[in-house]
Amino acid sequence: MFNLVSRAQAVSNHVLTCSMILGALVAISSLIQLYSNNVWGLNNSIENIKANASLKNSFQYGSKNGKPKENSIIKFDLETDLSSLFNWNTKQVFVYLTAEYPGKSEESYNKVTYWDKIITNKEDAKIKLSNQRAKYSVWDVEDSFRSRIANLTLEWNVQPHIGPLIYGKTVTKTPFTFAEVKTKKTTNNQ
Amino acid sequence: MNLRKQITQFLAFAYIFTGAYMTWRALGIIANTHSPIVVVLTGSMEPAFQRGDVLFLWNRHKINNVGDVVVYETSTKDIPIVHRVLREHHNPNKQYVLTKGDNNLVDDLSLYGRKKNYLTQDDIIGTVYGYVPKVGYITILLTENQYFRFGIFGLMALSSLFQSE
Repeated sequence: MFNLVSRAQAVSNHVLTCSMILGALVAISSLIQLYSNNVWGLNNSIENIKANASLKNSFQYGSKNGKPKENSIIKFDLETDLSSLFNWNTKQVFVYLTAEYPGKSEESYNKVTYWDKIITNKEDAKIKLSNQRAKYSVWDVEDSFRSRIANLTLEWNVQPHIGPLIYGKTVTKTPFTFAEVKTKKTTNNQ
Repeated sequence: MNLRKQITQFLAFAYIFTGAYMTWRALGIIANTHSPIVVVLTGSMEPAFQRGDVLFLWNRHKINNVGDVVVYETSTKDIPIVHRVLREHHNPNKQYVLTKGDNNLVDDLSLYGRKKNYLTQDDIIGTVYGYVPKVGYITILLTENQYFRFGIFGLMALSSLFQSE
């Protein structure tokens, strides 16, 4: 009964059970900490939004069949403090600036990312940007953004060392209007 | 040679394998996906996910939000890809999704294949909701390192020899 194999089996079973329980405890404790820090009520300030639009002819910018595509880009000021998202089970925080806007029909909905950042330590979690250029040039499923109004929100995703992925957003929404493409000349100098 | 003992041993093995397979399938039914647990194979989501990390998937929601990490398959690559949703456009019937790896410079447009500008729900295997680090590395070793594979098989064979004494 007590040969090497069965002993090894018993030990590895025990290690497995212990590490599973430990992992669960770590995940739960970090969730409790996030709740007690009230991370779902964090504030941000997004100001000074300057929207711009241009026509792009490349496939990489959403152009299809050689038809130029309207691309939107913004510049913005951003200030927020995400350091309370960091605890002992936080591997990284992915923070992203989204814009949501309505589509053609009542029920349709669009959401795009303009800017994002990977934060891996608490010291970098205080974000202050001024006149930051969007990381992505954004195009719509439709041909044009048609000067609709979009709402900017700063959202975050906590990537744990072990456990569930946690999502949330800061509470403030900042509206802006999509820019229109300036006439004629812009199409030539792409 | 004790035939009864051999058969009991074989049965025990069969129990383990069928048990594991049934758990896998049950998880798949609960999460509505053909692979409820996946192992990360590339570094395009580093430092969030590294090679060998294990991800748990869920596929019962209709809409994937921007920021969700999804696993999808395309015709251009044979391995499933784990990337984050960069944009989404939906109405009650259909959703279009554009993805990008956190660690990549550009979005996945060129991965989708010819004439395909967005992913739809059919391409997506599931959305990542849970994460366990590194444990899946053993499957990478088993599939990609033949020394490790033969080593493990050899050990199993040896142990079965000693066990039958």
